[in-house]
Amino acid sequence: MSRFELSSAAVDLAAQRDHLRHAASGGYCAFEGWVRNSNEGREVDGLSYEAYAELAVAEGERIVAEAIERYGVTDARCVHRTGDLKIGDMAVWVGASAPHRDEAFRACRYIIDEIKHRLPIWKKEHYVTGESDWVACTHVYREHEHENAHAHHHHSHMHNFEPDYSRHTRLREVGEAGQAKLASSRVLVIGAGGLGCPVISYLAGAGVGTLGIVDGDHLDASNLHRQTIYSASEIGEYKVELAMRRVNALNPTVKVQTWKEPLSAANAVEVFAQFDLVVECTDDMQSRYLSSDAAVITGTPLILASIYQYEGQLQFVAAKPGSPCLRCLWPQEPAPDAVGSCALSGVLGPVPGVLGAMQATEALKYLLGLPQPNAGVLSLVNLIDLSIQHLPIDASSGCATHGGCVEVARRALARSLDEDDIELAFDRLAEALVAGFQLVDVRTPEEWASDPMPAAAALQIPSVKVSERASEFTDGRYLLVCASGRRSGHAARVLRDAGVREVYSLAGGLSALRSERGLCLANP
Amino acid sequence: MTVVNLQYYAQLREQAGTSAEQFTTTAASLRDLYEELRAARGFSLSADALKVAVNAQFSAWDRPLRDGDTIVFIPPVAGG
Repeated sequence: MSRFELSSAAVDLAAQRDHLRHAASGGYCAFEGWVRNSNEGREVDGLSYEAYAELAVAEGERIVAEAIERYGVTDARCVHRTGDLKIGDMAVWVGASAPHRDEAFRACRYIIDEIKHRLPIWKKEHYVTGESDWVACTHVYREHEHENAHAHHHHSHMHNFEPDYSRHTRLREVGEAGQAKLASSRVLVIGAGGLGCPVISYLAGAGVGTLGIVDGDHLDASNLHRQTIYSASEIGEYKVELAMRRVNALNPTVKVQTWKEPLSAANAVEVFAQFDLVVECTDDMQSRYLSSDAAVITGTPLILASIYQYEGQLQFVAAKPGSPCLRCLWPQEPAPDAVGSCALSGVLGPVPGVLGAMQATEALKYLLGLPQPNAGVLSLVNLIDLSIQHLPIDASSGCATHGGCVEVARRALARSLDEDDIELAFDRLAEALVAGFQLVDVRTPEEWASDPMPAAAALQIPSVKVSERASEFTDGRYLLVCASGRRSGHAARVLRDAGVREVYSLAGGLSALRSERGLCLANP
Repeated sequence: MTVVNLQYYAQLREQAGTSAEQFTTTAASLRDLYEELRAARGFSLSADALKVAVNAQFSAWDRPLRDGDTIVFIPPVAGG
């Protein structure tokens, strides 16, 4: 049954209300948006709504479903008017029924906020002067983005909290002196996902003085099976903000600095230099190589970990002369297709938890000056047979044969800076076409079939094949497109290295287009 | 003929359908062995993308094989 309707006729309130009657509901709450007689100082005598109907209905359905899931209401519905409306007419109606009133109010609020923010409905106002105007997009305040912030105020007494580190200081190797070292330490955690959650939690609990957290992602429902510091009610929010809130709640004495975008070749060295230790917890190869380069250049120790399904790898990069870095093992960043991801390959929830806890342990050992007999090895952690294999890395056969880690890192960073114009952001692919780009779909043939691009591609070449098909990029400007921007970014760099100059990558991929459609929104 | 013990991680484990096996080969070096396995097990990664370790030590690809070697091919992984 459809719960969202676009209607060119007046809303039948009684019928809508009846739809929401359920034996399980103890109440019902509705919001009506009416056409008023003025907007921003101008007298209005009516307005018209135009909708991109197909998309609006699909998105409207999605919003109502999200509200039902998010707040656990029994049912919810919404109707949005199209066509010409007079002063006083109802432009939008939202209703929700639930066992308890709080959920019904919040679901209603969520739906109207999201409708105004996300629906492809345009509003034309007719003024009493006879003029009319399409009304521009405005920022919409979304109450649900602030729900937890509001809840937070109730706990302000927590600021008087006195941490008790006795279980740490009781360890002979830690003591008060060790605790003081932790309190004066600054640790940067890159990635607040499956690995980052335990790292952030344990370092905050341990009383590390300053925690930096870098993550550009919003919380997704698919994160929750392994990213244990987050809640279902927080889906859609920036992970760095949630992680900061979590640290504040866990140990208010820890200072938190956040970065809402991944580090880049332009700022990584400067950021690393502000910290005593960096823990790399992303699921992104480019970030891992950038971290390794920035670590050896700044002499900042780095703890790398990554996971695959039921296993993981751990490497402590001491960032000292004669000790190996990531490039000593795998000199070049591998193609994203070669390394797998949690999204494509799957991952058992606790696996990043185990590896992240190991990173946190290594971090505390380093900060406390405890022995790290396996620093400088690659540890392969197999959680199927519970084995750990340590492979010593021979630094003399790695970067040392190409001028040393620092020199190799500097060259890699310089190359990344040269390529920093590769990422281009567009709201719509049509804009790229207008700007003279030829679109190249570098996804797999399965993706071409299952999820066609919104605009036609001049070329379809899977990212793993771009190297051998570089000759097909003749003259012209090319914009490579994939789902997330990762494969297209890598493929664009491969093509630049092969001598194709005018090649770029759609930043954030198709999913970025979808999440910021650049549409003008209804404002009933 | 050389009999070696193979261990697989990550994508290779998945593609081989096992995490370990004993393998009899005429391959002279680690690189030849990997090429043989690549055809036999359908591995998608090229040797260039991997590290190889023999008897718990990283090794060069041109190392000759000896009976009883325990060989691990290690792909980089990115999950987090």
